[in-house]
Amino acid sequence: MLIFLTACSQPSARIQTRLNRDAELSGELPYNPLTWEVISSTLNPVDHTLATISGNEQAIAYARHHASSDYPAGSVLAVVTWGQQDDPRWFGGKIPGGVRSVEFLEVQTAADSGHNYLYSLYSGTPLRKSVSIAEKAPTTRASYLLAQKAAIMP
Amino acid sequence: MKQTSFCKLILPALGIALMIFVGLQFMRPKLSNPPVTAEIVAPPEVKAIFKHSCYSCHSNETRLLWFDQMVPAYWIVSSDVQRARAHLNFSEIAALPEEQQRLALFDAFNQIRLGAMPLPSYRMVHPNSTVTPEQLDILRKYSTTLSEDPQIATSSQVDAAEREYVRWVDGSEAIHTVQSTPDGIPFHPEYKTWKQIGSTERVENHTIRVVLGNDLAVRAIADNHINPWPDGAMIGKVTWHEKRDQTGMIGPGQFVQVELMIRDSKRYQTTAGWGWGRWIGTDLKPDGHTADFASTHCVDCHHAVRRNDYVFTMPINARQGGAK
Repeated sequence: MLIFLTACSQPSARIQTRLNRDAELSGELPYNPLTWEVISSTLNPVDHTLATISGNEQAIAYARHHASSDYPAGSVLAVVTWGQQDDPRWFGGKIPGGVRSVEFLEVQTAADSGHNYLYSLYSGTPLRKSVSIAEKAPTTRASYLLAQKAAIMP
Repeated sequence: MKQTSFCKLILPALGIALMIFVGLQFMRPKLSNPPVTAEIVAPPEVKAIFKHSCYSCHSNETRLLWFDQMVPAYWIVSSDVQRARAHLNFSEIAALPEEQQRLALFDAFNQIRLGAMPLPSYRMVHPNSTVTPEQLDILRKYSTTLSEDPQIATSSQVDAAEREYVRWVDGSEAIHTVQSTPDGIPFHPEYKTWKQIGSTERVENHTIRVVLGNDLAVRAIADNHINPWPDGAMIGKVTWHEKRDQTGMIGPGQFVQVELMIRDSKRYQTTAGWGWGRWIGTDLKPDGHTADFASTHCVDCHHAVRRNDYVFTMPINARQGGAK
């Protein structure tokens, strides 16, 4: 008869329903990158961070169909970088922890019909703008972001 | 007077019940022990735990106790054993490719850690099969030794990823129709327009996964109405092999698969209220061969988080924070 009884136990703390509050964005940002589609996702094993690169509509339309990094004016790329934490529900999994930074790269039309690049970095808790650079040629970091190829999504 | 009529009725009834019970004992599906062909290779202290707590169902060395031999218990036990062996069989696991073995062992460790294994119903009858915290620690340390650091991608891996990327970005590989799963779950090509609700790096097979949710899912997260999730919510998980470049940074390499969970409590009642699908490779070939694939593969694993409406991901609320 015992066989037909199922064990009643309290839900394990590991699987109680909860949101990943640590990973939420805070502060004042010009755009919400989590409402944009994903271009790619990277990991930095040295400082144990993971990052998602997303883009506004123009950036997405370009990234998924071009291998080069000549984004059209109006494109905005965003990078959210999180510290990694162990997934409490799956040993061997690492998931986003606290937000380390949010970056934006805006490709703008320049007066001479070329492009201007506006790079901005938000850090701290809540997130605050700590860097803002407008340049005719992309900086090292901006070039790196422009060169990130879209992850294959068939 | 009353007493006698009572006995006259009850005794024959009991007799008949006993005869039926004895008769049923002869209706036995065959549960045999096939030969042990490729037993797990692991340190003795690890193997001892598996032998003690798992081998009864997950090996070809099933030993039934006398009360498991009794019908109807025997019927339940033998079907459990068949299902268990199909999932993970310690008598044959060493024949699998190394990566699959690693995945299976991490899977086993996680199911034990979440309290899903050994099955609670089995633990009730076999209380000493429960894995103790000390034993769990031995298994955790063992699992850790199984995952090594990802190597810098070899030139052939880089080439393969590059070729795949070029085909995809050029659109020359346009897919006309993607097959539904054997369970009849349709593919949703618009998954790539969904929004990120989580991501995972998995050390046991060096993959990057991004978890996406459709608008309804994103709204449910913002409202914190995710147990249960509303009908119409869809969750997608995209997996890529890790690709480590010369600078040590890791990015997505070759595409592995996309998996979908589609919430419809009525239509998918028999599979925990979700439609489950997995499409493998850039040609998006549906996984599974039989119509019960979802219930035997997806649901069995996600059963560990059934109190969380079968979802492992702790979603990120995209609408939270000061962003516009």
